[in-house]
Amino acid sequence: MKAKNTERMRVTRLLALVAVFIVALGAVCLAAPTRAEALEVKSTTARPNEDGGDRVIGGLPTRLTWEGTVGEDEELTSISLTMPEGGTFEGSSTRVTVLDGLNRQNVDSVATPAGTALQVVFDEPIPAGSLVRLEVTGVAFPNADGDYTIEGTYENQLGEQALPSSPAISVIQNTPVQGLVNWLDQQPWVEAWNSNPFLNMFFKPQILVSSFASLFPGWLVCLAIVLVAYPFAILLGLCFAFMKMSKFVVVRAIAVTYINILRGTPLFLQIYIAFFGLPMLGIQINVYILGCAVMAINSSAYLAEIFRAGIQSIPVGQYEAAASLGMGHMRTMVSIILPQTIRRVLPTVTSDFITSYKDTSLLSSVGVMELMMYAKNMTAITGNITPYMTAAIFYLIVTLPLIKLITLVEGRIARSESGQGPRPKGGTVSAEDVELDYAQDALAQAAHAEALPDPELSRPVFVPLAREGA
Amino acid sequence: MPKRSRHHDPTFDVPPALPADEAAKLAFGHDKDLSTHAFKPGEHPIVRIEHLNKTFDDNQVLKDVNLNVWREEIVVVLGPSGSGKSTMLRCINMLETPTAGHILIEDDEITGTTKANLNDHRKRIGMVFQNFNLFPHLSAKENVMVGQTKVLKRSKAEAEAEAVKQLSAVGLADRMDYMPSQLSGGQQQRVAIARAVAMHPDVILFDEPTSALDPELVRGVLDVMRDLALNSGMTMIVVTHEMGFARDVADRVVFMEGGVVVEEGTPEAVFDHPQNERTAAFIGNIQD
Amino acid sequence: MKWSTTEGAGVQPKSKHLFLALFCSMLAVFCVAVMAGCGGQAAEPAATEETQTEEPAVTELKTIEDGKLIVQSDLAYAPMEYVPEGKTSEDAEGFEVDLVNAIAEKLGLTVEWQQVQFDTIIPAVKQGGTVDMGASSFTITDERLEEIDFSDSYMDSNQGIVMTKAAAAEIPGFDASQDVAGTERLDAVKSVLDVAGVKVAVQSGTTGEAWSQENLTNAETVPLADAIQCLTGLQSGLYNAVIADYPVMAYYCQESYADLEVVAAIPTGEQYGLVISKDNPALTEAVNKALAELQEDGTLTELENKWFGSAS
Repeated sequence: MKAKNTERMRVTRLLALVAVFIVALGAVCLAAPTRAEALEVKSTTARPNEDGGDRVIGGLPTRLTWEGTVGEDEELTSISLTMPEGGTFEGSSTRVTVLDGLNRQNVDSVATPAGTALQVVFDEPIPAGSLVRLEVTGVAFPNADGDYTIEGTYENQLGEQALPSSPAISVIQNTPVQGLVNWLDQQPWVEAWNSNPFLNMFFKPQILVSSFASLFPGWLVCLAIVLVAYPFAILLGLCFAFMKMSKFVVVRAIAVTYINILRGTPLFLQIYIAFFGLPMLGIQINVYILGCAVMAINSSAYLAEIFRAGIQSIPVGQYEAAASLGMGHMRTMVSIILPQTIRRVLPTVTSDFITSYKDTSLLSSVGVMELMMYAKNMTAITGNITPYMTAAIFYLIVTLPLIKLITLVEGRIARSESGQGPRPKGGTVSAEDVELDYAQDALAQAAHAEALPDPELSRPVFVPLAREGA
Repeated sequence: MPKRSRHHDPTFDVPPALPADEAAKLAFGHDKDLSTHAFKPGEHPIVRIEHLNKTFDDNQVLKDVNLNVWREEIVVVLGPSGSGKSTMLRCINMLETPTAGHILIEDDEITGTTKANLNDHRKRIGMVFQNFNLFPHLSAKENVMVGQTKVLKRSKAEAEAEAVKQLSAVGLADRMDYMPSQLSGGQQQRVAIARAVAMHPDVILFDEPTSALDPELVRGVLDVMRDLALNSGMTMIVVTHEMGFARDVADRVVFMEGGVVVEEGTPEAVFDHPQNERTAAFIGNIQD
Repeated sequence: MKWSTTEGAGVQPKSKHLFLALFCSMLAVFCVAVMAGCGGQAAEPAATEETQTEEPAVTELKTIEDGKLIVQSDLAYAPMEYVPEGKTSEDAEGFEVDLVNAIAEKLGLTVEWQQVQFDTIIPAVKQGGTVDMGASSFTITDERLEEIDFSDSYMDSNQGIVMTKAAAAEIPGFDASQDVAGTERLDAVKSVLDVAGVKVAVQSGTTGEAWSQENLTNAETVPLADAIQCLTGLQSGLYNAVIADYPVMAYYCQESYADLEVVAAIPTGEQYGLVISKDNPALTEAVNKALAELQEDGTLTELENKWFGSAS
């Protein structure tokens, strides 16, 4: 009996154990999907804090955006985030957004940063399915290259749970430029300087330094565009200059139309048409190439007029002297007229080059990453005008020496050209002639008129280009 | 007869150019008493101007001008302003297109020729301009070389040797690498003469070469021209106001007025015994 | 969408309090509360009460030109603020335009609208002297709060991703019948956009730009001057997508760009605020008071119905 009882108890125990095991197994099985429904980290990102760049630099303040959705059977009461060793939440401020779909929910909370930890406690539990976003401004990642994850815990109605690891955030070590900026941050004179609202807004040393580094690629893009575009502009311009002086009406008409349309419309408009119009016609061109093309075409119209006026400003005596040596039209142009034209138009062409170089800024409106684009973005991020001042400096680096060059060349031409005869006249004399009407030419012409009282010289002036085809 | 230029004006109905032999014969008969040129038997004129007419708008500048120039002859054309002498000169290398008439160089008609042929003819006709018309972007030496290398296709060394030779001949051996702007007007004109001579042309046309010069610089240029005339055997047609030069150097003096040749003859004949009263008046005025 | 004047789920950490307090002590003691309130940082009832109790201490309301409220906006963000075809900035229309006009009316001021580039507004307000207020659908962010003050929020918003209908149809796993706000749609769209070579146009200086930079790290974010440029560029094939404020994008896709559609909403739950200089707390205070009154008397709801339809 006793044995029997014992036996029975044993069986009962076994059964109980099995039952418990089964129940436990069931519980585990039931619990497993619940786990899967727990708080899910949707995304974790850090705002690029490289001034003007797109990387996240360690050791410097950035904004961490952490997003998670509350699991189905959960009620979230608090979240703790942990920054990897070396990073810090110290001094950060946290903006909490709770959303149900697209609707913002009003939830009050308290965020407490402490070293590498940040605890956010909600005043009321956040219901299942809600999206929770923490935007933590003023955090810093470790100052070393690497991919970092944000770990942590959260509390639901059941107690503390481990937070799934966040997606990794790529961080780079602090750059020398940022180091210099940080150093400037601590200088008393910088602080004094910045206490003046004007200096702070237009010439903030920290931004000056960082924008120099970050605007540099934009400057290179500007230079590259204009340097690639300009040789084409010169060739096209020469071509249209000769077309405009052609004896064939149709060729002249084509050149006149081309030149007048391009000179008569804003470059801005031409850029828009090229960048928005061509793709709509199914023509897809790389924006940098298209930018170069638009700049080249626009400049070519101005250059065509400069060249034409320059060619027509060469005294008729030069054509006659060349002709008297037996030179043909092409030979005269290449050996005699163009070399002189180049010298004469160099100042005007340089001015046009400067204009073109500055006009590359208009390409920023269609998303070409050039100097102004970088400056604009940096101004948008920093809310400070200094990047535009930096851009101005970058423009001046190129334009000031060129302006100096123009002055020098103009002086040399003034000194070297005298005693030249009258100029051949084309069919039309337009305002552009005035552009090239150097004082010395006027002087030479006056001197010439004086030296030649012979009235037979009041004849129509020799027109070499139009005549020789006789 | 070659096709005339489209500038031909039917109001000037000129006969076709004469056949070479006939023309030479006629010219010889006409010129032998008017020039001190040493005529050779069977010689043909190097330049023939027949029935040359030129009109600018409604202004007839040249009226049926006929003139022959012989190899090695020095012809000086005189005349008041507006007489058409410069225009005639410029017609000879077609810097002006004649309205009607014929220009023949060594019996080749150049009026109405194609552009390419015209350039071939022009290499044989040098020209010195009133305003020098040096190429300002080239040095003195390069000015003299450019025609040789680009038109005559001489080698650079050959052209340079020739340039050095001709610049030395005009007394500018020490100015060869100067830019035109660094030279005086007289020096520039001498470079221009060297530039023309270096092409070894059949004839050189001088279009008032000293008119644009300050008086003190005239002499140097005239000396060079005199040297060229007396020592080189170059054929020269000179439009000028320099009576002394004409008297000393010319084989024949041509006096033009109102677009026609009024009188021509040896310097002695024209200066000392002008047949026409307008010639006499002009020479009197100038010499006063 | 939900409208509010006083809420905000912001939290003010202690160090921030200290910093602000230090800064504000230079102006006036009462400013602490004002700054905290108008900064959208503190929605704690206590702060609001403080604001109310200290209200009488506020200095006299001053604007740059007496009787005038000079407001800068890019006026290229329908239906928030825009210039109707053929009109000038004087005849600006939109939800925010009506709202600012209503506020100004309550303050006894007439509004002068100035049309400027979006990214220059905050620097101009900060610089002071030329403009009283910036009203261009500014999202309240902590970075901006370091430069200027915000009024209380008058509207909540989200971001939207716009693509051409043709491109949207080719997104794998994309189902136009799904909820636009659903994560499935956003994930599907993100998977095709977060790819090297993809160009995403955004308006320079916006939250859309920041989102694109942070979340589409493989794509190139192209910042442009205004939303119209972004959409026109998208339409012509220069860019693959545009990210900007959801209600505005929805409006444009419906009204002007038939071949574009909002392929996904990005739940950001951001709040719009009016930009006012930190040097003019009296204006911020007055604007907040007017906003509260407009909320109470139903004007805000009325405007919401007028511009976005009662459905929202």
